[in-house]
Amino acid sequence: MIFRRLQLLFVLMIAIAIVLPTSSAARSMQDHEAAQDAPVSDEREADEHVEEGDHEEEPAKFDAVHHNSDAYYLDFSPMPKLELPRIFVVRRADGEIGVDFFGSTHAAVEAGYVAEIEEGSHGGILDAHIVAGSGKILVDMSISKHLFFAWLSMLIVLGAYLPIAGRYKKGIGRDTAPKGRFHNLLESLVLFVRDDIVRPSIGPKADKYVPYLLTVFLFVVTCNLIGLFPFGATATANIMVTAVLAIMTFIYTMFAGTKDYWKHIFWPPGIPILVKPILIPVEILGLFTKPFALAIRLFANMTAGHLVILSLIGLIFSFADLFGPAVGFGVVPISVAFALFIFLLEILVAIIQAYVFTMLSALFIGMAAVEHEHHEDHGHDAEGSLATVEAGS
Amino acid sequence: MILAANLLAPNLGLFVWMLVTFLLLMAVLKRFAWGPITEALDSREKNIQDSMDQARLALEEAKAIQADNTTARRESEASAQALLRAAREDAEKIRGAEVTKTREQIQSLQEQARQEIEREKVSALEALRHEVADLAIDAAEKILHENLDADKQRKIVHDFLGTLSQN
Repeated sequence: MIFRRLQLLFVLMIAIAIVLPTSSAARSMQDHEAAQDAPVSDEREADEHVEEGDHEEEPAKFDAVHHNSDAYYLDFSPMPKLELPRIFVVRRADGEIGVDFFGSTHAAVEAGYVAEIEEGSHGGILDAHIVAGSGKILVDMSISKHLFFAWLSMLIVLGAYLPIAGRYKKGIGRDTAPKGRFHNLLESLVLFVRDDIVRPSIGPKADKYVPYLLTVFLFVVTCNLIGLFPFGATATANIMVTAVLAIMTFIYTMFAGTKDYWKHIFWPPGIPILVKPILIPVEILGLFTKPFALAIRLFANMTAGHLVILSLIGLIFSFADLFGPAVGFGVVPISVAFALFIFLLEILVAIIQAYVFTMLSALFIGMAAVEHEHHEDHGHDAEGSLATVEAGS
Repeated sequence: MILAANLLAPNLGLFVWMLVTFLLLMAVLKRFAWGPITEALDSREKNIQDSMDQARLALEEAKAIQADNTTARRESEASAQALLRAAREDAEKIRGAEVTKTREQIQSLQEQARQEIEREKVSALEALRHEVADLAIDAAEKILHENLDADKQRKIVHDFLGTLSQN
């Protein structure tokens, strides 16, 4: 029953996800045509009309990258945008350090902050780089779109698992079988991460790392999937978010490292002494490339799918622009079909990438936490070990 | 303007927020979700394992008991058969003894009977001898009394014998 409903929701979601960007893009193109006649007096005034998208001489382009990058508002187009609070840690003109809090970007600008709108950009105040009117912004602690959706993911994960934990405390699932599909689903995720990812990768000390890796998996998978909903954004399509996760894995790896692990990095055993100077830097570099690759992989995967979908939809308007409306309409079925395919692929990728991130994190921690008990079999005394084998047999 | 600049722009504020968010999420989940859940799962796992172990033990026990029962049954069957055989043998022995005894009794009875008969015969012969002697004397008396010729004598004897035979 619940799955039937989920199915329906999914189809609806896909449909809206395809139709919405299309319609908003179409709208902005219409706006653009209307704007051709509107005289643009000065830059400042044009900024006031940002939301109407009619401030520029440049045609309002359908910008897939912009759609994917972080922002300080929630885009509910064609409904109005919802601005998010801006928080600035500033050094004021008198050298004092303070925190400024505004309900929205517009409020900040009204209070004296300056929006630096790039020459040739089609964005308004909302997309502009904000600088302090006087003094200097030290850290921009504003609540961004990606942060908002990361928080939403956090709430979803908490909302899903805290009641379930309560059920376990009451004995359902402990003394009895887990009851209900939702309970079973959530439990199977926990068991999947613990039994199929963490334990095989880390070994005997695995259970110490289960809470971290479970949190990473569920947070990432929720973030990834939330980006596929209409009006949603993918927090994990932000390099800062993935960097935080990768750094967490890095820190865990550092603390998991055994004496053997560090020895293998700083003085690899069983390697000719002349090769060591080459290998040691490589090993040290490897410490950092692993989490770096983690961060980039998740970020790139999550960004790429959205970009491809938006580009495919954008094809419609490119063709319409180049060859006229008839060709544009002709491209619609192809674009939509491809976009649908990529969308379905993205659902898969959202889950796979969460799995991959967790799996690799577990592997890295496992590699660091492993206790080597066979220092001999690194080749330099293979004969010796062969002799021991023969002696043993 | 680099196309992807927005995507890769460093944002310290977001970084700090995310770090705080993630640590908070992990702390809350670890304290209130993963702890109870994994603990419950482990206890359930242990429960199931224990139950299975117990079932296996019980099965082994049952098998052992069954085996015991089988041997016990076999033993009792064997002993019952031995008892039966012994009883039969005893019965046979008793019967044999009985038969011999009976035979002996019969034989002794026969012997007694024979001796009785022998005795009776002897006494009968004795009696007969006496009778015959008496008869001979009687007959001789008659002959002597009646002085008769041979024919008469013969007739007298004959008559006498006739009367005798009538007795």
